[in-house]
This record gives sequence, C-alpha cells and structure tokens, in this order.
Amino acid sequence: MATRIVRVDPELKDLIPGFLNNRRQDALTIRAALAQEDMETVRILGHSMKGCGGGYGFNALSELGGILERGAQNRDSEAITNAVDELQAYLEQVEIIYD
Amino acid sequence: MAEPTKSMQYRVLLVDDDRDMISLLSSWLKDAGFEVDPVMSGSEAIARIDVFRPHLVITDLVMQGMDGMTLLSKIHRQNPLMPVIMLSGKAQIADAVKAMHLGIAEFLTKPLTKDELVARVRYTLRLAAGESDSGANFGKEIIYRSEKITQLLEQAKLLAATDVTILITGATGTGKEALAKAIHEGSARKDQPFVAINCAAIPEQLLESELFGHEKGAFTGAQTKHEGLFQAANKGTILLDEVGDMPLSLQVKLLRVLQDFAVRPVGSVRGIPVNVRVISATNTDLEQGVKSSRFREDLYYRLNVVPLHLPPLGERREDIQPLLNHFLKRVGQRDNKKRKRFAPEAVEYLASAPWPGNIRQLMNVVELCCALTNTDIIPLAMAQKALRDQPAHVQTLKDAKEDFERSYLVSVLRVTNGHVSHAARLAGRNRTEFYKLLKQHHIEPEEFRTSRQATEED
Ligand SMILES: Nc1ncnc2c1ncn2[C@@H]1O[C@H](COP(=O)(O)OP(=O)(O)OP(=O)(O)O)[C@@H](O)[C@H]1O
Ligand SMILES: [Mg+2]
Repeated sequence: MATRIVRVDPELKDLIPGFLNNRRQDALTIRAALAQEDMETVRILGHSMKGCGGGYGFNALSELGGILERGAQNRDSEAITNAVDELQAYLEQVEIIYD
Repeated sequence: MAEPTKSMQYRVLLVDDDRDMISLLSSWLKDAGFEVDPVMSGSEAIARIDVFRPHLVITDLVMQGMDGMTLLSKIHRQNPLMPVIMLSGKAQIADAVKAMHLGIAEFLTKPLTKDELVARVRYTLRLAAGESDSGANFGKEIIYRSEKITQLLEQAKLLAATDVTILITGATGTGKEALAKAIHEGSARKDQPFVAINCAAIPEQLLESELFGHEKGAFTGAQTKHEGLFQAANKGTILLDEVGDMPLSLQVKLLRVLQDFAVRPVGSVRGIPVNVRVISATNTDLEQGVKSSRFREDLYYRLNVVPLHLPPLGERREDIQPLLNHFLKRVGQRDNKKRKRFAPEAVEYLASAPWPGNIRQLMNVVELCCALTNTDIIPLAMAQKALRDQPAHVQTLKDAKEDFERSYLVSVLRVTNGHVSHAARLAGRNRTEFYKLLKQHHIEPEEFRTSRQATEED
C-alpha cells in the first residue's frame, strides 16, 4: 500500500472513527466467514467496502474491498487472506489529516 | 433552478441497508443544503414517504429484504412522478437500465464522489420541476386554451424528462400522435429517432418483421436481413399506434421485448439489446380488450405505466376557436395567400358543432372552407356545408383502401429492403403489376434499399 496518510474532509470527521471501527469488525467477520467457506458474506462485505471506502477518503479501502469481492467470487481463499491481512495492517497504521 | 435555500429546502429520502454508506451520503447531502431522511430498508422507506413527503428518493439497488427495483415499482404505483435515483455497482448496470425504463429513475454507479452525487441530485430535481432545457418550448405545436389540456401538457412535460412508458388514449383525431411527438421532442432523446408504427395497418405476418426485424431466409421472400423498427428507434422513441389492434400472437412477443429490452429478429436465436422509450396509443378501450381476452393483461400493465387521456374536442370547446385561427393561418401561409377569417356566426356555429372526428375533422373543415371561399370572410353557409361534407369519423371506403394499400406496400418494401421482385412475391403479385401499384402510390423502392444492396439486382 503506497501511502498510509489520508486526507479527509473535515465535515466527515465525526463519522470516521465509527467507519474505521466497522472496517475492523469487517476484518474479523471476513476471517470467520472464510473459515466456514462462507464466500457470500465475504463478497457482500467486500462489495460495500468498495462502494463507500473512497467516498470517506480511503481509496485503499475501496481497492481492498474490490480484491475481497473478486476473491470471494473466485473462491480464492489465499487472495482473501492476503487482503484481510493487508486490511488489518492498514487500519493499524493509517493516519488521518482533516483538511 | 435556484440553489436550494432555507426557504425552499428539498427533502431527500435516502434508502440503503449499509450503515456507513448512509452516514456518508447523508453527510454529503446535508452539507449541500438538503433535508435528509435516512432509512435502512425498503419497507421503512414506503412507510416514510407519506410522512416525510420527499422531493426525491435515493435508493441502493441491492439490499437485504426488499431490493431497490421492488421499492421503485412500489413507490411509482403510489407516486408515478416521484424522481428516484438508484445507486448500483458497475456489475449491476443491466438492472439499473431496466430501472430507468420502469419509471422515473436514473442510476448512479458506485463508488461515487460528493460532487457527482450532489450534481445529479440537483439535476434530477430540476428535471422533475419541469425546468428541462426544452421545458419552455414544450408542446409548442399543440394549440389549446382549455384547462384540461393545460393540465395534461403539464403532466406530459414532466414525463418527457423521464423514460417512463406512457399509454395515450383518446378518440380518433384528438392528437394522440401529436402528443407523443411533443413528448419525444421535449425529452433528452429529441435528437434521436422518433419512429411511429400503426399496428392496425400492417398484416400480422409483416408486423413482427417490421417491429423486430428478420434474418436472411427467415421466411419465403426474406432474401436479406432486415432491421426492425425497434432497432431503428434505438436511443430514441417508438410510438406503437393503435396498439389495441395488435394481434395476440405478437402481443406476447412485444411483452418479452419490454421485459428484456432486447429484440429477437424473426429467424434469429439471439436477442439484440435496444434502448427505446415506448409510447403507445389507442382509440379503443384496452381495459375492455383485456376483459374480453383480446388484449393481454400483463402487456396492458407494461404499457400503461402512466396513462394520458386526450378528451374529445366536444369536451374542451374553448380550444375550438384558437384551433380554427391556427389552421386558417397555416393554410394561408402554405398557399401564400391572405389569411381568411370565419364570419362571427360561422365561428359560433363551429364552436357548438359536434366534432366526432375531433381536431383532424376541424382541420379538414378549415381546409375545405378556404379552398371553396373566394372572399376573405368564410360565411356561415360555407362552414355548415363543409361540416356536412366532412363526416371525418368515417373515411370513404376508397380512402381507407388506399391508406391500407399504401401502408402495406411500404411494409413489404421495408421488409425486403426495397427488392421489388421479393416484395412482389410476398405480396402475391407479378413484378409488372407490383411496379404499377408502386407508381400509383408514388413509392420509390430505391428509398428502401440499404446502400449495400443498391448495386445488386433490378
Ligand atoms: N392541439 C392541437 N393543436 C394543433 N394541431 C393538432 C392538435 N391536436 C391534433 N392536431 C393535429 O390534428 C391532426 C390529427 O392528430 P393526430 O394524428 O395526432 O390524432 P390521433 O389521435 O393520433 O388520431 P387517430 O386516432 O385517428 O390516429 C394532426 O395533423 C395533428 O397535428
Ligand atoms: Mg394517430
């Protein structure tokens, strides 16, 4: 992932902590779903991450969402695992500047 | 449209089952000055509509429980003019296209930005307010003064901004085709084709090929591939005139086209996608047709998403005088002559006359009066005579036969791409006879040829 510094519209400031928390929750749900080979759940979560990540300013999350969605469609557990690892690392490290 | 201000704050009902998406979109819209009511399901949305009275609904396409398409059709059953923006992923665009055809809906693909969303919302609200670019000029060919037509045109103008399927009803000569044309001209499709087909004037075997096209060799006489009118109308509007007279065997095929937005030419196994706005017109009572099984009920509902009714001239007599003036002026201009006028008693007489043939009859009466009067003022006696001689609602048998023959010749030529020998064979005539018929009707077979065939044969 290229940059972990993200600029976010100040008007969204109140929403960001909740948004990022939901993504942490997603990462856990995806791992659990993967263990059960529940690809549908992975696909849905990936799809909605793709849909709103960029809107909140996190293009990297949109990208990861797309990888998860595609991974689920292809039943590619390895790609999904890699993407979840990346997602969690990203959520640990991301820094936000409101401007 | 003025920017939404506090005095006129637009209300947007937002429907999405994704909490983060809803927060994001609400935040964007509120920041742009809209009043937003976010709900997380289609059923909540339905419940909120009457209470919140939104100017616009934005809904996600794919949702748990009730999906966006179902929500859309439920909304439009209650509020046919409610603008709806449907959000969808790229992969679901095919569904979104259907949504556009289902009613007043547009789609916006995710991911999207704040600017995109806000711009689209403003644009859609502006269209809904009837302030489209051509709004001011809407229906300028249609002459009227009555309250009934004023209201009808207001509604038609809103509908023109959408792709909603319309059924125009009204007696003969009330202006159904004129209205359909005005809707097309007032729409975003105005620079694309407007294709009208009279479903009653074409024999059953040819109508299918006319509408949907055929492959080479699909039937005897089909020596070349033929593109149907649905394809010819692609990106534009098709008017299915006298749709009530469409044979049952074709009704089911038309229904399929409206469901799939694809036509299957005769003799082809493949559907060809088409993007066509469908307006149909009829002077028969389609509901009665459904009751007596002459018209398919499912097709009736597909076509009759929004009904527009043109009242007969006798129910809007205020329109008579402006129409008389309009046609007098037109005849004068056309013939390069001084414009004639009706004597006051003649106007009074015409304003209270029965007009079974409606505006077409009135137009013919004006023509006749102008042709037969040498003075500037058309006297009462002339108006009376013209009306007697123009029973308009019944064509003479000769005229009716000629009309039919002409439509028939045109369709066989279209279907055969202008190949006279093929057309003659289809029509069961020899070439010489067929040429003679064409000549009588001043029809040029060359006009029906595609460039590739122009050099072959004949
Ligand atoms: N309000 C109007 N103002 C001016 N011209 C009109 C108006 N209404 C109809 N006309 C003209 O009257 C003629 C008949 O109208 P049109 O062909 O649209 O009627 P119609 O309802 O389709 O009739 P039919 O059922 O016989 O096909 C056309 O030439 C049309 O341009
Ligand atoms: Mg007509």
